Amino acid sequence: QEVTLRLSHWLPPQHAVPQTGMTEWTQSITEASSGEIQFEIFPAQQLGAAPDHYDMTRDGIVDIGYVNPGYTAGRFPIYELTGLPFLSSTGPAAGKAIHEWYQGDYAEAEMGDVYFCLVNPHEPGRFHGNMPIRVPADVSGLNVRPAHSTMARFINSLGGSSVQVPAPEAREAIARGTADAVTIPYEAMKVFNLAEVTKFHNDMPLYLSSQVMLFNQGSYDRLSDSQKQIIDDHCTPEWSQRFSEGWAIYDEGVRQEMIDSPDHEVFMPSDDELALWREAAEATVVGALEAVDAAGYDSEVVFNGLKDALAANDSAY
Amino acid sequence: MAEADLVALSGFAALFVLMLIRVPIGVAMGLVGVGGFGLIAGWAPALNLLATSPLRTVTDFNLTLIPFFILMGVLATRSGMSRELFRAASAVTGSMKGGLGMATIGACAGFAAICGSSVATAATMTNIAYPEMKRAGYGDDVATGIIAAGGTLGILIPPSVVLAIYGYITEQDIGALFIAGIVPGLLAVIMYLVTVRLWYGRHLPKGSAFSWREALAAMRDVWAIALLFVAVIVSIYLGVVTATEAAAVGAVLTGLIGFVRRRLDMRSLMESLVEALRTSVAVYTILIGAIIFGYFLAVTQVPQKLTQTLVDLGLGAYGTLGFILALFVVMGCFLDAMAMIILMVPIVYPVIIALGFDPIWFGVIVVMTVELGMITPPVGMNVFVIKSIARQVGLVQIFKGVLPFVVTDVLRLVLLVAFPAIVLFLPQTMG
Amino acid sequence: MASRAVGLVEKIAAVMLGLVTLLIFVSAIGRYLFARPVPDAFDLSRLTLAVAVMWGFASVAYRGSHIKVDLLAHGLPPRVRKWLDIAAWLALLVFTGAMTWKIGGRLISQWPRGELTMDLRLPHWPFLAAILVGLIMALAMTVGRLWRILRHGEGLEAHESYDGQDEGAGHG
Ligand code: NA
Ligand code: NA
Repeated sequence: QEVTLRLSHWLPPQHAVPQTGMTEWTQSITEASSGEIQFEIFPAQQLGAAPDHYDMTRDGIVDIGYVNPGYTAGRFPIYELTGLPFLSSTGPAAGKAIHEWYQGDYAEAEMGDVYFCLVNPHEPGRFHGNMPIRVPADVSGLNVRPAHSTMARFINSLGGSSVQVPAPEAREAIARGTADAVTIPYEAMKVFNLAEVTKFHNDMPLYLSSQVMLFNQGSYDRLSDSQKQIIDDHCTPEWSQRFSEGWAIYDEGVRQEMIDSPDHEVFMPSDDELALWREAAEATVVGALEAVDAAGYDSEVVFNGLKDALAANDSAY
Repeated sequence: MAEADLVALSGFAALFVLMLIRVPIGVAMGLVGVGGFGLIAGWAPALNLLATSPLRTVTDFNLTLIPFFILMGVLATRSGMSRELFRAASAVTGSMKGGLGMATIGACAGFAAICGSSVATAATMTNIAYPEMKRAGYGDDVATGIIAAGGTLGILIPPSVVLAIYGYITEQDIGALFIAGIVPGLLAVIMYLVTVRLWYGRHLPKGSAFSWREALAAMRDVWAIALLFVAVIVSIYLGVVTATEAAAVGAVLTGLIGFVRRRLDMRSLMESLVEALRTSVAVYTILIGAIIFGYFLAVTQVPQKLTQTLVDLGLGAYGTLGFILALFVVMGCFLDAMAMIILMVPIVYPVIIALGFDPIWFGVIVVMTVELGMITPPVGMNVFVIKSIARQVGLVQIFKGVLPFVVTDVLRLVLLVAFPAIVLFLPQTMG
Repeated sequence: MASRAVGLVEKIAAVMLGLVTLLIFVSAIGRYLFARPVPDAFDLSRLTLAVAVMWGFASVAYRGSHIKVDLLAHGLPPRVRKWLDIAAWLALLVFTGAMTWKIGGRLISQWPRGELTMDLRLPHWPFLAAILVGLIMALAMTVGRLWRILRHGEGLEAHESYDGQDEGAGHG
């Protein structure tokens, strides 16, 4: 039977994700089902706010939700580990690794009321500021717009303050001096016009922000067996990697632009400086692991599992 | 017609029926929104909208500036700032024909610079300026008409609650929108002054001339308003604070100044907080309902199809813009200004952007258009508020008095469409 | 009795609004002068304001001062108007009831773990619980208003307003 699935996300329709990975993925499903499975895509928070996408998917307001678990601090402590500093330096392969690690028990424990489908990290986020940020001490006294709560904790631990503004307003926040820097991937230089105000970039791959694609359980259960099979085939670690590639290519293009531009300084820390950064990140890691312990898991096992999966996919830092 | 279109259309019909029987506007939109969403996507999800959506709306940091600006306006009213403004303006124009009327416009403009609401501006000026104009022999129609029009300056001149909501919906910088509103707001003041002078002036009595000493004393009293305007609008322009911070700073400073000048005490502060709270709740209720109604419309895909249809009509950029604005004017005859912005802007905004118009410019244009609805029959909020205070004046009289200002409003709208730079040059100089 | 309860609820909510305004003021000064905003000013202000709004929602339900279209009602004889008012406030009751039910469920699913604030990592659920208390009070007060319309013929005109200017003074 024919079925139309409502897919909701919060990115503008012309963004790299809906243009590349999401299009490829939905078209592949429609083709594999000979047109039986169609999609109605609702971009730009048309059906709900970005942080509500998990609840919207669970509650059936949409059939498929593109969710950033980092928007709801404390709710998915295991998954939040994926946002820790210095885990990985590349998005797509990390997406495959995180998928392999999280699917099964962890997904069941934290996101058990939905059908877990895909992991979609962006290329690692970095520091971009209106002044150079070369060593951890440079963050002290700065107002930084963090990408998610893990980054907020990292910035606070370095003696900086976190400033909450929506990503589209990050440019104004820096232009007006509300914030001095952001942690965000390179693409934001274009997507949110940040290149106009942040001329200094620290090129060290700092952290990942990994969105997930989830199905409402009922919407999945209503599919026929053959349709379920098609969805299962499109909810694999391999698809997590493939889904993320378009975004990574776009991000790398913007990075190269920044390197080539005479107006921008792209700084790569030396090994010694990198060691300082990694040491400074320790407190943040400890805090995140404590949250996992508090939720009733053995954080060491969980975290080692994540690091092993990343190493197995050649995507560890 | 597809089934979803039919549901959307019935939704609008049900909404109007519920509103007519005095169901709170926000509640009407929320109920119809949930009902319609239920028909399209199932009842369980629709009911769950009632947890997700209201919680998100009331906890949204980007909306907190609305209660702050409302509080600032209430505190300014309580500490007698509108009366001072009126006195100062009278000192300037008093000796002219129609001087009191011009002073009313001037005082409205000054008050608008620290108050974000049309209705509040109209209400406070009815209390202050209407008795004075009556005493000087103004007709009821002229006196109330001037106040109704002057009140609209409340949302034209920044800060403006409606402009802030436009910025919230379209994710545009609220600070830039406020700065963009300054010059068009001043233009409105000048055109209203000219209207009073040229249209009514010949028949209006002169005001009493002030002595220099009186005039100076009156001017000296308005320092507080000047200070607040600088603290709020200029610091937004310079980028010292965000719009939200500016709103909080403005409210706290207004309270402090009131205390220093002994115009406020703990009791009146408490009353002001309560009044601001009630008004804010009323606004939030509309927001909650309108956002749910918006999700219902989105899931029917009617707005998306409407966008396509409008573009396909081939009216050209300005033809389409004219069509949309005419739609706003017609709907504004029946609907509340804020409800209309929340309901209609998400639908027409994609078209406007697709046609290549500037989003900041359109914000100012659309606020001016809905503002027109506040003074045109049959539903004109400003007119109703004036009526509720000056009870003996008939609605028809007020609408009659306001007519010349409607003409200048349309004229001003045409000017701003023809010369977008009037709106855009100032925000473009911001940091 | 009911009026005094409403007055108290309203005052507590109004103080919350005042405190939030002060918090943002202090945080803005701290950020501008000392590059030190108040930690969690963002989350604490929005969550507290949410509680204030929901408690205020209760008082507005009692006072009848929601923004509504009075056009038709003013042209009707009082007897007809009374029944329309009852219908209108029953609609409010249904809406509030459904919201209370759904948000109550959300609280249960969030308690005792769930979302945390960004900087201090304080739990959200106490705020959610306070919001729910506001909604339950709103239900009671909506019933209270319905009772007064039915028994005493008191309509939906705003009560205890200041200079008649608080009805909808914010919109527009
Ligand atoms: Na204003
Ligand atoms: Na009207």
